Amino acid sequence: MSSDITERVNRRSFLTVTGGAGIAGLSGCVGFGGGEESGDGEDGSDGESGDDDGGSDGGSSNGGPDTIVFGQPGALSGSFDFLQPGVSQAADAAVNHINEAGGPLGAELELVRRDTGVDPQEARTVTTQMIENDDAAAIVGLFSSEINPLWDYLQELQTPVVTPWPGSTFLDTRGGDKGTPDDVSDDEWVWRTVVGDTVHTAGSAVYALEEEFETLGIINGNTEGERSYVDGFLSVYEENGGSVAERVEVELGSSSYQSALSRLFDADFDAFLVSMPQESAITALSDWSDGGYGRQPILSDTLAQQAVIDQVGSDLHGAWVASPGRSGPSYDTFEGIYTEEGDAEINGWTPPSWDAVQVTALAIERAGEATPEAIQQNLGPVSRGEGTAVSTFAEGKEALANGEEITYEGAATPVDFTEHGNVFGSVTISTAEEGGFVETTEVTAEDVREYVAEGEY
Amino acid sequence: MGLLQELIFGLVTGSYIAIAAIGFTLIYGIVNMINFAYGEYLTLGAFIGFLAANALPGPLPVAVIAAMIGGGITSIILARGFFTPINQTGPVPMLLTSIGLGIALRNAIRLVGGRSARYIETETSTFRFDAIPEIPVGSVDLLGGFFITSEHIIVIASAVIVFAAVHLLLTRTDVGIAMRAMGDDESLARVRGIDTQLIRDSVWVLAGVLAGLAGVLMAIQTNVSADTGYSHILQILSAAILGGAGSPYGAIIGAYVIGLVLAVSTAFLPSSMTGLSSAMAFVILIAVLLVKPSGIAGSEVREA
Amino acid sequence: MNVRDRLPSGHGDRALIAGVVCILVGALFALTPLRVQLPSAFYVFVEVGILFVIYGMLVLGLDLQYGHTGLVNFGHVVFFAVGAYATAMLSAQDSFAGIALAYPWPLGLVAGVIAAAILGAAVSLTSIRLRGDFLAIVTLATAEIFHSLFVNFEDIFGGNVGILGVPRPIAAVVSDGDTRLAATLLVLGGITLLTLAAVTRLTDAPYGRVLRAIRADELVTRSVGKSTITYKTQSFVYGAALAGLAGGLFALYNGAVAPGFFTIQVTVTVWIGMLLGGAANHRAVLAGLAIIMGLRLISRFALDVTPVSSDVFASMRLIVVGLILVAVIRYRPAGIWGDPQELGVDQ
Repeated sequence: MSSDITERVNRRSFLTVTGGAGIAGLSGCVGFGGGEESGDGEDGSDGESGDDDGGSDGGSSNGGPDTIVFGQPGALSGSFDFLQPGVSQAADAAVNHINEAGGPLGAELELVRRDTGVDPQEARTVTTQMIENDDAAAIVGLFSSEINPLWDYLQELQTPVVTPWPGSTFLDTRGGDKGTPDDVSDDEWVWRTVVGDTVHTAGSAVYALEEEFETLGIINGNTEGERSYVDGFLSVYEENGGSVAERVEVELGSSSYQSALSRLFDADFDAFLVSMPQESAITALSDWSDGGYGRQPILSDTLAQQAVIDQVGSDLHGAWVASPGRSGPSYDTFEGIYTEEGDAEINGWTPPSWDAVQVTALAIERAGEATPEAIQQNLGPVSRGEGTAVSTFAEGKEALANGEEITYEGAATPVDFTEHGNVFGSVTISTAEEGGFVETTEVTAEDVREYVAEGEY
Repeated sequence: MGLLQELIFGLVTGSYIAIAAIGFTLIYGIVNMINFAYGEYLTLGAFIGFLAANALPGPLPVAVIAAMIGGGITSIILARGFFTPINQTGPVPMLLTSIGLGIALRNAIRLVGGRSARYIETETSTFRFDAIPEIPVGSVDLLGGFFITSEHIIVIASAVIVFAAVHLLLTRTDVGIAMRAMGDDESLARVRGIDTQLIRDSVWVLAGVLAGLAGVLMAIQTNVSADTGYSHILQILSAAILGGAGSPYGAIIGAYVIGLVLAVSTAFLPSSMTGLSSAMAFVILIAVLLVKPSGIAGSEVREA
Repeated sequence: MNVRDRLPSGHGDRALIAGVVCILVGALFALTPLRVQLPSAFYVFVEVGILFVIYGMLVLGLDLQYGHTGLVNFGHVVFFAVGAYATAMLSAQDSFAGIALAYPWPLGLVAGVIAAAILGAAVSLTSIRLRGDFLAIVTLATAEIFHSLFVNFEDIFGGNVGILGVPRPIAAVVSDGDTRLAATLLVLGGITLLTLAAVTRLTDAPYGRVLRAIRADELVTRSVGKSTITYKTQSFVYGAALAGLAGGLFALYNGAVAPGFFTIQVTVTVWIGMLLGGAANHRAVLAGLAIIMGLRLISRFALDVTPVSSDVFASMRLIVVGLILVAVIRYRPAGIWGDPQELGVDQ
């Protein structure tokens, strides 16, 4: 018992010492409101490394920062990791291209990529780390399933998130500068360079109705992206006279989808819509082919891949897919630079990743400074309206140096950000054939726009 | 489609799980640990099978055998390196070690094997039986026409061969009889002069071989990627526990129960609930444990 | 036997005082113009620190179940999730999808604790008699079932998007970012310290000795006339209620809940933390949790000093985390501060 008492005393003194030190440490950074404005500048914005003095003169070389950092949270592990190589390569190609063109404001653009595993909690940590420790001026990543539950948090960060990933209808009316670039008080800090599900599924639904597929069977994964795709499709399809005979939701990664298919094909319909990620879709479509179920398949945009045809076989020939994302005015420019960078396969999010980096760098160039707020204010002006059309950062930098206004024409879409930070693009209908997906027709961005109410996207 | 068709789908799914669950439950019964890294053993088998299918000239069975041999070797190496040294510490530290090993293996596979899924090329033929009469009961047909593919037949046949082989091993060979003795009472087995370490090693090899087979069969049906096995570990674990932990025969029954529940619940649950089929498998698991706490084939409730 | 760890009557009181002080200081920042400035490089540590104190409540509850009573709960995340969802659904003002009832948040928080406790009671009533490893499976299965329910029923639980628009009481009164972070950490940390004080009281009391006796030998405990089932059920429900409290606080801190926050990874993290530190020792399990969460965070910074691409690094980092876990268990099977004898682990 006596040893217990001494021990307690020892621990208490230890605790007192550490506690005292802790309080002393804490008091060093505690103050009353308004008392320490100067300290705020020292502590809070060392990240923006010298942009305070470089900002106002608008020049591109003197006084600007040496390096500007973009953070790219990515799916380096986790369930969508197979899409990441294409997205990473596009971002790296864009960064190299921008640096070869002299860099934004003459600075070296640097991309820090960190793994979130598509886990919202990890994404929160990573985003904080990028902004506060890596001094990222903008974030060029994040998935729907990360953005939606972290929405309040991302607004508090007051750093623009320009992401190539999310299709979620949640973002249809959220994000962007609300049409007032200079006034950031009403802004929501998320922009996406990928076409939202609401829009490109509209193209697909319109085409299905034109082809007189009036009833539909649906099989989709129970993840956010897949559901959102189907919901977008149905909102246009059902409003214009189509009807759904049966809808089956499945879990991803199963070893077999035969039961789901047999249930689906018990119903009577003209065509069936498959919205699943590639790996599960290949399993399901192979099962469909083995089962000899027939009927017209309509595939979600992510499935327009050679591997799908190769694995499923000739039964899939004639299946069509409506995909956005490869119809931007400068897709060819992008593709040329991209393929020099490496050999990762291009997927639906690859060109938007290129666009995200390009348009953000152009916003810095136009702003003349690399603060998050300045980028937020300039994303609208470099993408919308009249001005010299530029397809890359290099062209944009030159035009801006000549005092011209610019409008960035992207690889995936024309990148005309709506007031909610969304983009429209034309939708290409491709049909599966022996050698791959062949373009059959195109639904223009203007046609797609008709199905989406003004101000609601 | 009738119930008969769903039963076939359930049998196929159950067969994959059963092959893996036998290995899992043997480790559980004899080494006395829940091996959460077991899913990665399946993935390794799938990768070895994929490499063999591309590198070796022979037909697909050669790749399958390569995956089984590779699985067995990997399993004993990992066991020697990670589990044998801490055999005496009890189930919880070993379980945690397997979680750590699983994280490391999964990411090592991702690092070496890359992120995109690979596919093992196969030809599949489908056999149809449409002349079966329907026996409708309400909205459900008890029989009805059905089809079965060559892949389905291979999977079910592999499972049957495995069951027979494991049964013979456990009942006719010295090693197998010693395994059963050790599963019942390790110290008694040691007193009787059984080399318990040798038996443990044999179990690791056997479990690795079965994991390799299950992994490559799954790869043929789906694909090869770093998460191939990990995504099935909960089903395997449930099958093993459902059947009565440590009992290979129970694991087989448990696997088929889960396979059938997955198939039937996808087919007959209300439309808005079809995504719940794996949750249904867990509901069945809990229900069985509540009714018969030792599992389907378990004979006694040991205090753990 | 380690006498000091058996009779730490002072620790509980000290945790109580420290907890109250933390909450008061946090409230001071929240309610007065007093404000804090944090170096921005610290933000990420404070963020993870807040998550740590929330998970701290989880690990204390789990340790009450496993470390003190020997109940193997492998689905602890389900009680965390149920507490969070109940709080969120009752108090959310306006959610994108799912139910949002807009009741005052204290009501939601209480409901979250009660919901988790009820689920805990239901699980223990049906399953507490099962063998240890079977209880593990039942809890694991329960967690998976609830995860599927949350994902599947969009109209109720908001599907993958979850429940948004949950009120954030601290953020509502503090507009300054730094102060908000500090106040959140202090208030939640204070609550965790109060939890620590409460569980220390509980386990130091004769009650705790009964729990440990059940762990050591249930048969003997029963034979001296203690209703072991009652004790085990109570211990399990306390742990579940604590997890529900943690879940409710998480919802009110984050402002949203989604299935992605409540995966099996949470269970794995708190289990690793508990066993790493050494089960049956309240402060050790918190320290163990701090180590595993710290390791995961610190290892992120190694990207800057490793000469490999970020893709390779992401895999390498997780391999190293896995191997460190393996190594610690190899050399300290009872945990870093654990007592091998008490845990019945042979070395």
